[in-house]
Amino acid sequence: MARATALRSAGKLGQGVIALYPLALIIALWEMVTRLGWVRPLFLPPFSAVIEQLHNLALDGELLPPLAISLYRTFAGLSIAMLVGLPLGFLMVRSRILRWLFEPFVAIGLPAPKIALIPIFTLWFGIDHMAKIMLVALTSVFPFIVAAAAGARTVALNQIWAARAMGSSELTLLHRVILPASLPSLMSGLRVAVPIGLLTTFTTEMVAGGGLGGALVMAQRYFETPTVYAYLLVMLFCGYVIDIGLLRLRRRVLRWHEG
Amino acid sequence: MMAQPAQFVTAVASRTGPILIFMGAWQAFTMFGLTDPAFLPGLGAIGSALLDLVSGRDLFINLGMSLLTGMSGLVLGIVIGVPLGMLMALSKLADGFFGPLVKATYSLPKSALIPLFVLWFGIGGMTNILAVALTALLPIVIYTYHGVHSVPHIFVWSAKSLGTPNWKMLVRILLPASSHAILTGIRIALGFSFIITIAAEMIVSNYGIGKLMFQYGDSGAYNYMFAAIAAVVLVAYLADVSLMAITNYLLRWQDPVEKHG
Repeated sequence: MARATALRSAGKLGQGVIALYPLALIIALWEMVTRLGWVRPLFLPPFSAVIEQLHNLALDGELLPPLAISLYRTFAGLSIAMLVGLPLGFLMVRSRILRWLFEPFVAIGLPAPKIALIPIFTLWFGIDHMAKIMLVALTSVFPFIVAAAAGARTVALNQIWAARAMGSSELTLLHRVILPASLPSLMSGLRVAVPIGLLTTFTTEMVAGGGLGGALVMAQRYFETPTVYAYLLVMLFCGYVIDIGLLRLRRRVLRWHEG
Repeated sequence: MMAQPAQFVTAVASRTGPILIFMGAWQAFTMFGLTDPAFLPGLGAIGSALLDLVSGRDLFINLGMSLLTGMSGLVLGIVIGVPLGMLMALSKLADGFFGPLVKATYSLPKSALIPLFVLWFGIGGMTNILAVALTALLPIVIYTYHGVHSVPHIFVWSAKSLGTPNWKMLVRILLPASSHAILTGIRIALGFSFIITIAAEMIVSNYGIGKLMFQYGDSGAYNYMFAAIAAVVLVAYLADVSLMAITNYLLRWQDPVEKHG
């Protein structure tokens, strides 16, 4: 029995490794063309040199501190967006006046390239954390509003009536009926909002300095190509790990939902 | 669905009401000196700056360059993305090769590629267009892939049994049946195109609306900066609305697409 399970999990692992062959192929090709000197290292240093540079950056403390700053800005902004966006989305479904008041702003704000506000936010909130956090909050609040509104709209009316008939207040209704019923939609919203938050943080940092984004632009200005690639790998990894984490969270939170 | 003119007027008034309230509050704040005019220019100052920009050439040249960059990148993304998504949906081999690459690069915040492209292609045109194209590519590939995958088998089987050749199957069956998904992907890609175009121009560029906004900000002409940003937001909104109109026209044989869905 134990051996069979072990074999099966080994088989699964093997399949996983085989599925990743395109990545391995590209890394091998990358290493080969650079070792053979077919491309200038200024454009593409060997993959091994990038990994080595990553190691050096970590040792020199030029990796974790900027990474921590970027992640702090992203998650602070996302938290604000969630705290504002979810109640607003719910209320826009429950109240006609609020819907009338906010709908035009959502319609304009959702497709607007809010990244254009970087100069304004820098003017208002300075060049440190606050400008970045507020811009992340602004860019990622819209997916939360839309997800909350979409989720609240899917709540079956008879569930609301039933809760009302049993004397639930509006707040209990929100907390015990609407919130759980709209969790699937909220999880999808989260998966849209987080990459937008990361994109906003890195972009704002590239323009206004600080964090991983600022470090990346600095490395490019000094033509430190291996450092550019090293930071890019870290950003790629960041986005990937967070996305996997969100998928796991979704499966955990929605155990009761889709089998 | 022809609305009465009176109904139309009330609908428009009801939609613009909150925006008028917001602008009124803005004007009141600046007029009574509750905010520092350097940080928040009054609507009058922004309006006159906008008029000045519209009557001059700077705004149109830079906005035009930005639109050209964004649209070239988007078109490049569509031209590569739609066939690639279809290929991945139809061939296991292509799916096995490109699938992991798409998954691995999907979560990279694409603006991070801008400094790398600057190293490769220098500042300006090529860098910005390629950054936009690469960003637009992924949502288009993914939506095309899922669109082709969800084409009902019965369409394919009936077409096959009628002796449809493969290329005709692609153009007459699979493309129309997945057009809704493809256009949704293009709409997402359009939003990203604007973001990456402006981001690239703000990070490093020698032209474009992003660059222009920054110049106004640096020289302290904040009312011009606000006016330029308002122009960008308006253009992006119009682009989104036009794409929706095109989508609804192309898909007039299907159920209409809901607005912000």
